[in-house]
Amino acid sequence: MKKTVTTLLIALLIVSSVVVCKNLFSYRIPIGNRGIQGAVKSGDIDRLFIGSSTFRSNLDIDILDKTYDGKDYIIAYGGNQLMAFPIQYDEIAGRSDNKYDLMIFELDPLMLTEPVKLSDSRVVFDLSWNGKKALWDNLAGSEDTDFSVFYEYFVTSGLDDIFTYPLTEPFYSTRYKKGAKTGDTPSSGRDFLENEKFDISEAVIDPIQERAVRQLIEKCRANGQDICFLESPHYHRLSDDPVYKLYLQYFKDMLDEYGVRYILATDVPFDASEPEYFEDMGHMSGAGRRTYTEELVKVLR
Amino acid sequence: MSLISLTFLIFMIVLLIAYYKVSADRQWIVLLVFSLAFYMWVHPLCVIFLAVSVIATWYLARTPSRINFLLTVAINLGILIVFRYSIYFGVHDLIVPLGISFYTFMTLGYAHDCYQKKIEPEQDLLHYALFITYFPQLTEGPIGTYQKMQPQLLAPHRFDLTNIKEGGYRIIKGLFKKLVIAGRLTYYVDTVFSSPKDYGGLTLITAVFFYAVELYADFSGYMDIVCGISKMLGIELAENFRRPYFSRNIQEYWRRWHITLNEWFKEHLMLPAVTSKWNIKISKVMYKIFPKAKKGTIRTIFPLILVWIVTGIWHGAEAVYMCWGIYFAIVMLISFTTTGYFKKLKLRIKWNDSNIFIIIFQTLRTFVIVLFGEVMFRAHTMSDALLIYKKIFTTTRISADALTAALVPFGNGNQAAASSIILAVLIGGLFIVELRKETDEHAFTKHRYVQACIMLTAIALLGIIGRSNFMYQQF
Repeated sequence: MKKTVTTLLIALLIVSSVVVCKNLFSYRIPIGNRGIQGAVKSGDIDRLFIGSSTFRSNLDIDILDKTYDGKDYIIAYGGNQLMAFPIQYDEIAGRSDNKYDLMIFELDPLMLTEPVKLSDSRVVFDLSWNGKKALWDNLAGSEDTDFSVFYEYFVTSGLDDIFTYPLTEPFYSTRYKKGAKTGDTPSSGRDFLENEKFDISEAVIDPIQERAVRQLIEKCRANGQDICFLESPHYHRLSDDPVYKLYLQYFKDMLDEYGVRYILATDVPFDASEPEYFEDMGHMSGAGRRTYTEELVKVLR
Repeated sequence: MSLISLTFLIFMIVLLIAYYKVSADRQWIVLLVFSLAFYMWVHPLCVIFLAVSVIATWYLARTPSRINFLLTVAINLGILIVFRYSIYFGVHDLIVPLGISFYTFMTLGYAHDCYQKKIEPEQDLLHYALFITYFPQLTEGPIGTYQKMQPQLLAPHRFDLTNIKEGGYRIIKGLFKKLVIAGRLTYYVDTVFSSPKDYGGLTLITAVFFYAVELYADFSGYMDIVCGISKMLGIELAENFRRPYFSRNIQEYWRRWHITLNEWFKEHLMLPAVTSKWNIKISKVMYKIFPKAKKGTIRTIFPLILVWIVTGIWHGAEAVYMCWGIYFAIVMLISFTTTGYFKKLKLRIKWNDSNIFIIIFQTLRTFVIVLFGEVMFRAHTMSDALLIYKKIFTTTRISADALTAALVPFGNGNQAAASSIILAVLIGGLFIVELRKETDEHAFTKHRYVQACIMLTAIALLGIIGRSNFMYQQF
């Protein structure tokens, strides 16, 4: 019996130690070229883009670098949500002494309707304990959050990366440059794009997401941080959808209420009906990314 | 009630206390009450069909006769067909009683044994009810036999800490296989099989291989858990797996995979079919056509085909399961009918079966044959299965691009590399343990506390918590 109890206690001790260390220190693990760590480490950054994988795929870092003398960075997580933006802003502001000329946040009207969830565990990995707690408060507010989400959030998320860090980090490093994707993705072709199914007819505003946008604007305003929102082009089938347009108007109205600048997809000369430019409804091909970024920097100037 | 849940943990603790607190002659009553409670927890109404099956089988088997046996078969198969296969006749809203396929086999096996006078019919309805409803084996097997189970179920069991420890170790082993190995493979396998057209040959081969490991880890993990639970109660369940992927031929594979189901088929379908009048008649005709063939071989051909078609249908009436059954019928038939020929050939060319390279070759060959069949078992439709075969044979390339593409179904690109490395270590670890066990049955019997500690840590840190359904529950 004694041995059984000892075994259980040792296992519990190991698990607890790993979990505590991960939650307290994961954000200190050196990550060179992506995420919040990468941005903080880069130091002198003028323009910081914060968004989802759409930003990662649709912004060409070489073109941005040329325009901004290399003083730019993209923080992007797969499925990053609006509710995480103010927390990510707090982390960057708290961990970096750098003064950013402009922070550009993603404006995706459908992000307003996304149910609160954790889609990319890197989001948790990159946050300090306070950030993790704040993000959990948002997740806990969702009806879909159950014990398994709690467990994934505090126990298992990011552990694979930590356990395999020496092997995987060099591999990941080759895939990113200052947070942007380095590889060229081909277009999925007209057939795919014209037939890819999506249904946003049931989409409704998630109050947690909306509240987060307001919080973010208020925080940045209080800190004197200049910000702007950027709508990345979607393939025309999605951006022409009336529901998409409805929520885009809603997002615009909210930003207008605060007098915050925004750049719409239509403000940038870019053909969103060209299949060669897209991998799917939201992510661009290499060709699309370069063409779009060339035009975007002209508008952003 | 899932076996991997807090509710079940509480259920088990209460059961163990009650089981070992009551007098020895009442322990079986505790087991029966808890087994029924376990069953009713899932769906109270379904207990009615279980009760009908139990009462009818018990009553009819008490006076063994051909008519009573046929009636038992009709009632049990009738219930099974209505629930399992009604969906194919357009009825979609029937709730399939938990474990119906498994307990139907147990009742039919019992009725058949009584009819053949291999066992004395049980006179006590509640004793019989316990045999069928004993909860660890009710939902996914193992398909226990009356001869082996009943004496244990009714015997008094004194509290023995060794049983608790051994049972606990087995449960931890099962949880490790299910939550850490199978759980981590599920996402990849589901992603690829849900849309095989989107993936290249190398990715599809990886998915098929992962599926084989997932199925084994899930199903054998479940068996470890229920055997461990039963061990805690002092009752040994039949083993269902004996490292099947190390089999050197397909016949051996089926003696080591889902052992109790295959033994059931052999005992209650294959042997009666071999000795049946219709088979003897067909065999005589066949013998005239192939006079050089062995009589024993000819008499086995049709029962073998029958058993494999029934095995396929038992898993489901979809074309994929039928084709899977037919595939294995053909493979078994080839293996069975050519065994004698190859034995002679081996002697002539002095083929040494114990040569390590030959062992590896035979094991790999058997594994590939099994993998080929698993494509049908897992694919949603036969056209998906055919597409997978086609793509495997026409689009498989070994290149950096193909390897990178094979990582994609691991999920978000940011986690793919890490997930694949962890999985490689886990599958490699499982392989080494099983290989060691294959060569030495007593391997890993020492330092069980250390093993348990490592597995518990891995379950907590690497396990996929929240997916507690087992794959074979659908059957």
